[in-house]
Amino acid sequence: MTHTASVAAVSQHGGKYLTFVLAGEEYGMQILSVHEILGLLPVTRIPRTPAHIRGVINLRGKVIPVLDLRLRFGMPSVVDTETSCIIVVQVQGTQMGLVVDQVSEVTTIAGADIEPPPSFGADVPTDFILGIGKSAGRVRLLLDIDRVLSSDEVVEAAAAAADAG
Amino acid sequence: MPETTLDVLALQLMQLDPADDAGVSEFVAGVRAHVAARGEAGGTPALVALAGTVDLLERVPVAQRGILLGEAGRYIERAMGEASGTVPVAEAAFDEGALPPDTDVDLLRDFIAESRDILTGAEAALLELESNPADDESVNTVFRAFHTIKGTAAFLGLGGLSAFAHHAESLLSLVRDKEIPYNSRCADLSLRSSDMLKAFLDSVEAAIDGSRLVPPVGADVLTSELERAAAGEIFEESVVETTVIEVDVITVAAAGSAGDAAGAAAMAEAMASVVAATAVREAATGPTSGKAKHEAELSVRVRTDRLDRLIDMVGELVIAQSMIAGDTGVSQIKNQALARKITHAGKIVRDLQDLSMSMRMVPLKGTFQKLTRLVRDLAQKNGKAVEFVTNGDDTEIDRNMVDAIADPLVHMVRNSLDHGLEPRDERQASGKRPQGTLKLSAFHQGGHVVVELKDDGRGLNREKIVAKAIARGLIESEKGMSDGDVWQLIFAPGFSTADKITDVSGRGVGMDVVKRNVEQIRGRIDIASEKGLGTTITLRLPLTLAITDGMLVRVGDERYIVPTINIQLSFRPATDSLYTVTGRGEMVLLRESTIPIVRLHRLFGIAGAAERPEEALLMLVGDGERQCAILVDELLGQHQVVAKSLGRGLGTVPGVSGGAILGDGRVGLILDVAQIIQLGRTAGNDDVTPAAPDRRSVA
Repeated sequence: MTHTASVAAVSQHGGKYLTFVLAGEEYGMQILSVHEILGLLPVTRIPRTPAHIRGVINLRGKVIPVLDLRLRFGMPSVVDTETSCIIVVQVQGTQMGLVVDQVSEVTTIAGADIEPPPSFGADVPTDFILGIGKSAGRVRLLLDIDRVLSSDEVVEAAAAAADAG
Repeated sequence: MPETTLDVLALQLMQLDPADDAGVSEFVAGVRAHVAARGEAGGTPALVALAGTVDLLERVPVAQRGILLGEAGRYIERAMGEASGTVPVAEAAFDEGALPPDTDVDLLRDFIAESRDILTGAEAALLELESNPADDESVNTVFRAFHTIKGTAAFLGLGGLSAFAHHAESLLSLVRDKEIPYNSRCADLSLRSSDMLKAFLDSVEAAIDGSRLVPPVGADVLTSELERAAAGEIFEESVVETTVIEVDVITVAAAGSAGDAAGAAAMAEAMASVVAATAVREAATGPTSGKAKHEAELSVRVRTDRLDRLIDMVGELVIAQSMIAGDTGVSQIKNQALARKITHAGKIVRDLQDLSMSMRMVPLKGTFQKLTRLVRDLAQKNGKAVEFVTNGDDTEIDRNMVDAIADPLVHMVRNSLDHGLEPRDERQASGKRPQGTLKLSAFHQGGHVVVELKDDGRGLNREKIVAKAIARGLIESEKGMSDGDVWQLIFAPGFSTADKITDVSGRGVGMDVVKRNVEQIRGRIDIASEKGLGTTITLRLPLTLAITDGMLVRVGDERYIVPTINIQLSFRPATDSLYTVTGRGEMVLLRESTIPIVRLHRLFGIAGAAERPEEALLMLVGDGERQCAILVDELLGQHQVVAKSLGRGLGTVPGVSGGAILGDGRVGLILDVAQIIQLGRTAGNDDVTPAAPDRRSVA
């Protein structure tokens, strides 16, 4: 592995990340796209939509959609727990909620500690992964949240990534 | 005043204290003298801009003078450069094809919006001038409009626009100073100038969004025409366009509904005045324009997104308040004073909600004024004599609705002028006044706004419509069809009875679009017509788009809102009225017609809903054309809800038009009845229930 080369290639993604847990694994998303974090609210289901769309919530008078990130990534669904919460993100001007198992912390990950996304072969796109953050002895998959929410291939890709990781 | 040189002005500016009124006045006077000495056109773009800037200087609060003085300084510098030849004179934005690099986009948008308003007012004044060329106040209104746009455009660095406004203004200034009479050619040029200014504004708006900034087509031609007119050529051509056209425009300032006796009397009087004397007409319009001017000064421009946010917040406040009032913990406290306080707070919150809702309301005046212009142009084109009467233009309507009804009204007016009103000789032959009447009224009725367009033309031709409908295969025969049913046929797509296609109407793309647009804003359109006497088209519109009247229903564990306008009735069906048609799903027999049943719980995959229609309720809903009976468990009551989009992230959800915050703070989904009917048809074919004796469905 050519360590130095990879550091140079991804260092522009260094910065503050909100890290969270999904199915026992740690992920991170850039803090700039995070609007706020909510405890679980009553969600109104929307009929005839894919399973990963949990429904809509009332965010202080605004109706915003909520996605189940586990289902979005093709992970098994679980019953919500005390620590489950909704991360409200702003993607291309639209607010959207993401249900995650647990929010961990806000941490700074230096560009030097980020490795480029691993390759799973041509069939598995990895463009929604900014890189792999390695700091304080922990490994976190850093997500490009814009792409996570817009790309349809994410589900398969993430499943493959989970298997490989 | 002796002329002050640019150097002196620059020096003055450097020493000037923005708070020093006398000093500022002196500076302004100096600039004006300098610009005036450079000819009426103000010479160069920089000087025009400078003049515009100092015009503003006198109108802004002291606190903002500093910025304008800075601007003025830049223009003086530029003017010096122009004078010495170091800056090319043609440094105008329109020549460069782009907005000036330091443009403040927000300021520009405000300018565009404000200018459009000003132009609408100017147009009304121009039309008033047609019937009353001696009205100095109207000349001044138009002059001021062009002048303001010129000054502000120059200030914003929109050289081409400013220069054009200058030419338009020059012509009007000649009229104002009585150097030339206001004749039809002058009127035509002014109206076209107003249109051209609008086109300029459109191109500026497009440039904000990234297009190239180009002057509108024909600007050069019109400019030279204006120049020639101002140079005196206007007299030679003045008599040529005096044709048989008479367009009388009356605005009756009668408030309230058409049924209002006083209003009707005022209108009858005003109508009589058209025939009698122009003096009375002045009296009728005078107070209106005076009042409008007064109101304009007392208003504040607020961005709509901010207003929407405010309304959202107030909506939240209402919910939060009702949650407090309904809280079991609070209601257990036996304290009369507390209860009183909560009730008091609730009343304030509701008043606040009413107030916030009313802030979106605007009068229909602007919409009506635009139509006045349209009527004038169309009447001229068709060679018909039309008297256009508007009534109740102070009726208020939601800002969003104004845009939504503009197009339908244009279509309706075109239709009336083109097909409804007969040519002069035909009218005389049938013993009518040669001048046709087109009456546009607006009023409130039963929680709706009604806009009514009435002509005294030839009326709809039943035989012709029927023949056309049969030829097009819309109907098989007219047997059993009431007049109302027949009139509805003209809303069918592609329907037109016009013998010849004109460039205004007759292409058959009119009325179906009108109907669709009106229904999109949850309105209704009705036609009444009598052969030889005329046609009345009535639009019945909700007061606001923001609030939907809806019935909250329960289906299993979920709640949905059905718009009241779609609901016809709800009933518990008798067992023997239910049956299954092979291939067409379940039906219910109601008043001798069979209506398909849509099981919402199956369509939407809802758990825990009643399966037997006899134990639940059928809600008969329709979208105007088709009907279905939706199976629901329970009606939870009628609510007024604020409809919101589900968020762009979801795209469109079939069967759901949006969401609304319910009384408990949760989101309820609003059903899109037209889509439900459609879904019911396609789904109904998928899972046809076998004709089981007990009709119990197989889950």
